[in-house]
Amino acid sequence: MNGMIITVGEGTCGIAAGAKDVMTLLKKQAPEAEFRVVGCVGMCHREVMVEIENPDGQVYLWGDVDRKSAPKIMKFHKGAGDLPKDNLIRSSENPDAETDAYLARQTRIALRNVGHIDPKSLEQAQGRGSYVAIKKMVAEMSPEDVIEQVKIANIRGRGGAGFPAATKWTFARNAPGDKKYLVCNGDEGDPGAFMDRSLLEGDPHTVLEGMLVAAYAIGASNGYAYIRAEYPLAVENFQKALEDARAANLLGDNILGSGFSFDVKIKQGAGAFVCGEETALLASIEGERGMPRIRPPFPAIKGLFAYPTIINNVETLSNLGWIINQGGKAYSDIGTSGSKGTKVFALAGAIKNGGLVEVPMGMTVRQMLEEIGGGSSTDYPIKAVQLGGPSGGCIPASLFDTPIEYEAINATGAIMGSGGIIVMDEKSCMVDISRYFLEFTQLESCGKCTFCRIGTVRMQEILSRICDGKGTMEDLDTLEELAHKIKDSSLCGLGQTAPNPVLTTLKYFREEYEAHVKDQKCPAGVCKGLITHFIVQDECTGCTICERYCPVNCIEGELKKPETWVIDQEVCINCGMCVEVCKPDAILVQ
Amino acid sequence: MSNQSLEATVEPADVQSWIDAIGREPSAAVPLLQAIQGAYGYLPRKAMDLVIANTDVNASQLYGVATFYAQFRLKPVGRHLIKVCHGTACHVLGADRLNTSLNHILGITDEEEDTAANGSYTVEDVACIGCCSLAPVMLIGEEAFPNLSGADAQRSLKKHARKVKEVLPGHEEMQNEAKAKKAAKVQEVRA
Repeated sequence: MNGMIITVGEGTCGIAAGAKDVMTLLKKQAPEAEFRVVGCVGMCHREVMVEIENPDGQVYLWGDVDRKSAPKIMKFHKGAGDLPKDNLIRSSENPDAETDAYLARQTRIALRNVGHIDPKSLEQAQGRGSYVAIKKMVAEMSPEDVIEQVKIANIRGRGGAGFPAATKWTFARNAPGDKKYLVCNGDEGDPGAFMDRSLLEGDPHTVLEGMLVAAYAIGASNGYAYIRAEYPLAVENFQKALEDARAANLLGDNILGSGFSFDVKIKQGAGAFVCGEETALLASIEGERGMPRIRPPFPAIKGLFAYPTIINNVETLSNLGWIINQGGKAYSDIGTSGSKGTKVFALAGAIKNGGLVEVPMGMTVRQMLEEIGGGSSTDYPIKAVQLGGPSGGCIPASLFDTPIEYEAINATGAIMGSGGIIVMDEKSCMVDISRYFLEFTQLESCGKCTFCRIGTVRMQEILSRICDGKGTMEDLDTLEELAHKIKDSSLCGLGQTAPNPVLTTLKYFREEYEAHVKDQKCPAGVCKGLITHFIVQDECTGCTICERYCPVNCIEGELKKPETWVIDQEVCINCGMCVEVCKPDAILVQ
Repeated sequence: MSNQSLEATVEPADVQSWIDAIGREPSAAVPLLQAIQGAYGYLPRKAMDLVIANTDVNASQLYGVATFYAQFRLKPVGRHLIKVCHGTACHVLGADRLNTSLNHILGITDEEEDTAANGSYTVEDVACIGCCSLAPVMLIGEEAFPNLSGADAQRSLKKHARKVKEVLPGHEEMQNEAKAKKAAKVQEVRA
């Protein structure tokens, strides 16, 4: 239809869910419509998402769109079909309370443009106010003014450590030398966090705008954007943003005729969690193994190629343009006394409305889970959340009234980290999750410090032993002892925080560890060494599907004779494939 | 078909062109390795030797970097690469089962091995790819497959294999076994 505008969310998660297919299909169905591509809106649980604006101005937001539902939706828009209710998230006529609450409870500053613009279009970004801050900054403000506003805003580094950005900048501003570097840290390595990816691929101009602000403040003329190689779309979109900005004289020599020059190169990461640490990241850009260096000297004094260098996280940078436009005061009006502004979180796991959310500091964990997340997505209540990834910890349901701010979160033993939140219900085993994180940090430890290199391996071995039902009560004490020693004797954040997942679960869920050790039971039914699978013959239909999917051929019986079906426990590896494929739920896990 | 046949043929001129484009200084090490792996899927010995001979990156630095970062591999890769995401959300929702089930259908039994014996597919674990709400996820080449169970992973792989005309060794073996079983049963009934 002429005048119809169809917008498809094509972030990485949208594409993974099939957005490209949907786009092709819709183009065939409505060739006359105007098509737009945007980044991720953050409502990942409803991907693929399509917004359709009718010529009369009515706007419909559709979710879970696929090959089957797309034609039905188009038919409806052409006035020839019924309303496909399951796919409708909201429309101007039918607002949806839950979705509106999901959006209304958020305060989007860093994510202000993501999902609203085509990330490849400078024009659309400028239509939403990108680079207005840069014009204002170079015309009206001195670098000191910029630092002053950011100081008033009191924004703390969003990468995890929470160091005040303005303080760091002042060091670099005052450092002697003409050549200084600004580095954007887009090496988002925390499993479970994807806000930086979403920003870089969904709104690269806002990140670049932030880099310009930071570079102007510290006096840097060269910049690097260090982006994970696992994020190809982020690299592609950021590259395009650099080219367009250069062509518009928003980047490069003598920006907007102001005499301020700054240019940016992209450096792709190669897969190392430790490179999220500042000095390791610099070593990586210099072509070395990403191993942290001893501080001082701090990078702000002696950093990349020995020049003063500031490393800011993607999310931190994305707030800066807003702060310049609205003033530091407006930013510090949001949040709590110690933590200002907003923070983006990636909600995943057993939660109904998973995705990216940006909330004002000070909201409680419970408010976020219930009012935005919509509560548990399973039949079981939420038992805990894991906050901060491998460096963070678990917060039990009894502490869900904790406000989300740096100090209060640290007091629980978890950390704000980069903002990944994994929601766990009673079917998640806390010992298994600790083992998972230790396995991760153990692999990612760069090997420089002995306690981190060997201590994490020992901790992981003990945890694996406990998961296999071979742990002792002494092991629990050893875990604690090792944890404290690793924290005390590691150079960088990786080692200093690696034991957090174990310490917090031991603190809040000690009874689960004891059940594994004393009773040889995994209460959640997860740990493979402590569970057995068997067939309930009364429920079995003898369909043979489990036999076909079993990877170790340990299930046998005769077709349509349920009474003959058994699992050979000697051979079974408790992988759970049979449970997955069994239609009548005849396989019991104990 | 053994993995030997997956060894890439390295053209010195190609390696030289990447060096010319990227640079010779030590900081070029990572991008050079990325260019080589991008072309061959792994880091062939010959290409590594050429970099060492023609740049300021020495062997110790180059191999140090190549073995430090998860992205690089020194072993040849199958004709198609499967990446199984092992981020937290994927782990909690059963990513391990995807590996079990893919290895089964590919006939990969040796824990040290990640490539099917006929060189068709390589199964690699990757850290979070950032699609946590679609967990568990795997990628075959560039294509993502969301919300997978172990059985779904097998179905997706079978479909992919039909499309690109690859044989799945584990699947073939299963079919042969099933045939043999059926034949034995027929024999039994006849007898």
